[in-house]
Amino acid sequence: MSNTTTTTTTTTTGNSSTPAQNVDISKHPSGIIPTLQNIVSTVNMATELDLKAIALGARNAEYNPKRFAAVIMRIREPKTTALIFKSGKMVCTGAKSEEASRLAARKYARIIQKLDFPAKFTDFKIQNIVGSCDVKFPIKLEGLHNSHTAFTNYEPEIFPGLIYKMIQPKVVLLIFVSGKIVLTGAKVREEIYDAFEQIYPVLTAFRKNTIAN
Amino acid sequence: MAARQTPYYELYRKSTVGEALTDTLDDMLQNNFITPQFYEKMLNQFDKSINEALANTVKTKITFKGNLHTYRFCDNVWTFIIDKAEFKIDDPQKPITVDRVKIVACDANVNETATGGR
Repeated sequence: MSNTTTTTTTTTTGNSSTPAQNVDISKHPSGIIPTLQNIVSTVNMATELDLKAIALGARNAEYNPKRFAAVIMRIREPKTTALIFKSGKMVCTGAKSEEASRLAARKYARIIQKLDFPAKFTDFKIQNIVGSCDVKFPIKLEGLHNSHTAFTNYEPEIFPGLIYKMIQPKVVLLIFVSGKIVLTGAKVREEIYDAFEQIYPVLTAFRKNTIAN
Repeated sequence: MAARQTPYYELYRKSTVGEALTDTLDDMLQNNFITPQFYEKMLNQFDKSINEALANTVKTKITFKGNLHTYRFCDNVWTFIIDKAEFKIDDPQKPITVDRVKIVACDANVNETATGGR
């Protein structure tokens, strides 16, 4: 995309997260706003469903009861996947924002209604939010691991990223040497932002100094 | 006779050659040239022959691509509706194109499927 400059990071080309010019520094002191990558939500349509009838009647549906006891359905806008269960409960994944997730879930419920099931739209809940960003400097994972042992799990032979289990907010962060960060486990986006702002000073403290580029 | 337990898909009855055969057999049956039992037997033999021929004799490979409009998987049958499909047979320089095509694909292992093909 475009060149981005922030107050705290050095300038580099970025294709993710930071339209740095318009960042509200009071909310995002790091100057970086994590990008939401996936929202998982659930909804209860409160009616028993005939999954085979749904698989035959709807488009873009898969139903293979031998492998999985739900219909897997996809829509293109918002680009999402839904798991639809016999009980009428549904899981909607893949949306990039809370509203998109809700809209997608509504669209799926509408498809079920059009197939003549008395589907309602109850108990909609965001279950998980995943965000990611790039701090654009390399990180000494070993050092970070040694000083935050209570929260971290770092076994490079098993997984190259450092797993940081933050307690407040309850968010799990995957931190990579490259400076790329994945944040997951949040129920609201503020938890993602909060977790990132908390970890950011730690990351700068464990910045890896590389010999020129 | 001819217990309907053929382990062969019947979907090729809807192909051009299958429909031609069925038309002819319909005529013959109507004019009492053949019995209903023979009619059944012919179609079952056709199912067997064409399934075996396609599996063992035909070596032509086809590749195709296009925009997937719709897909479905139910009862072990994949159904795809593909827009702007481009089929490449033999000569990759001369693809056959169609605006929209429907593909019905069954599991080659019939025993995986509860009921015979459609």
